[in-house]
Amino acid sequence: MDGIAWAGSAMEAAQSRLDIATGNLSNVSTGGFAPLVARGTLTQNGVSVVAERGARHSALRPTGRDLDFAIAGDGAFIVRDRNGMISRTRDGAFVRNRDGSLSDVLGRTLVRTELARGSAVRRGFLETSGADAIAEMIDVVWAQRSFESAQKAVSAIDSTRQHAADVARVK
Amino acid sequence: MDRALFIAAGGMTAQQQNLDTIAANLANAEVAGFKGSVRQFAELGAPDEPSLGTVALGERVQLTQGKLAKGGGPCDLAIEGPGFIAVDDPRGGIAYVRGGAFARSADGSLRDERGLRLHGVNIPSDALSMAVAADGTVHATFTNGTRTIGALKLYEFPAPDRLRAIGGTLFEVTPESGAARAIESGRTDGPAIRFGMLEQSNVSIVDAMMQILTAQRAYEANAKGVQAADEMLRIANNLQRG
Repeated sequence: MDGIAWAGSAMEAAQSRLDIATGNLSNVSTGGFAPLVARGTLTQNGVSVVAERGARHSALRPTGRDLDFAIAGDGAFIVRDRNGMISRTRDGAFVRNRDGSLSDVLGRTLVRTELARGSAVRRGFLETSGADAIAEMIDVVWAQRSFESAQKAVSAIDSTRQHAADVARVK
Repeated sequence: MDRALFIAAGGMTAQQQNLDTIAANLANAEVAGFKGSVRQFAELGAPDEPSLGTVALGERVQLTQGKLAKGGGPCDLAIEGPGFIAVDDPRGGIAYVRGGAFARSADGSLRDERGLRLHGVNIPSDALSMAVAADGTVHATFTNGTRTIGALKLYEFPAPDRLRAIGGTLFEVTPESGAARAIESGRTDGPAIRFGMLEQSNVSIVDAMMQILTAQRAYEANAKGVQAADEMLRIANNLQRG
């Protein structure tokens, strides 16, 4: 790989970081949201960034509503959508249906609750979004600046090559 | 960057809708019987994929109990615990409310400030005063003593969260909420009617102000995301110099 390709991969990495940071930032009001963490690795093809789901749980907020549930500790609500697809959620803002079952904000039916040892379900509480606006804001700025530096590197290499080409032309 | 641009713009839209909901709550914070709503959000995208941003879902009415305060009217009604009383829907049919400031009208019915007639009670014209007991029994005082003249029914729903809020404090049955069922009076754990009391709105002004602050900051942060994405697009465009 030459210098321009390396710097180019750094620009792409910065772009991925921005995607991840804005994705987290847009979900600062989503209950039970677990933010994605950007992990950068060096590969043969330059820098690569992958998103991993963070496992940190966030604060519980009292609501006083009797169908709001939050999990303190590890665990998840197992819900089933209309097509029978099973998924996990930490957002426990449920409503009761006519048949007595509970539905989450997306209308998925609660099947069961999966709790790790030592975890508990708290009634009348909701888990807030795990996205931290300040940390994500820093990531946004960081991504922008690192994109800028990488672009400078591309330009510098480009202009060096331009010089070389000019020298060649004079000869 | 396009992706980041649209994700952040979606975040701005979501917060805008959030602010609409909070503003409506705040505007009605002093309306007796009003129930605040919350705007629900969900993450866009598959569980193991990078997020595609957020989506603002509908509003959900919070049917939590409001504080009871003494009303000054002749027939103020409030309910302690879950349950509704039935009134005439202004558009026809029946609507359900959590109480209200009712007063006797010329035809013997009890009507609230909007003129909505309370179901189940008719006050004889020679009654001097009336009162409602906790279990809904209505007593009236006449020149020759006190008599029971009717009973106010309390209603519950299989899925009360699915009721549709119409015009502030009124609720309407929807197919999802299920039909109203009368609550047996005399149940010790059941809701109770409080005569002479009004239920305050369950919106806390301090809470709503806090929500406005956080929604506003979240909106700004997403706007910065849009700016950063835009700036990076500009930088990328400058890679190729003339």
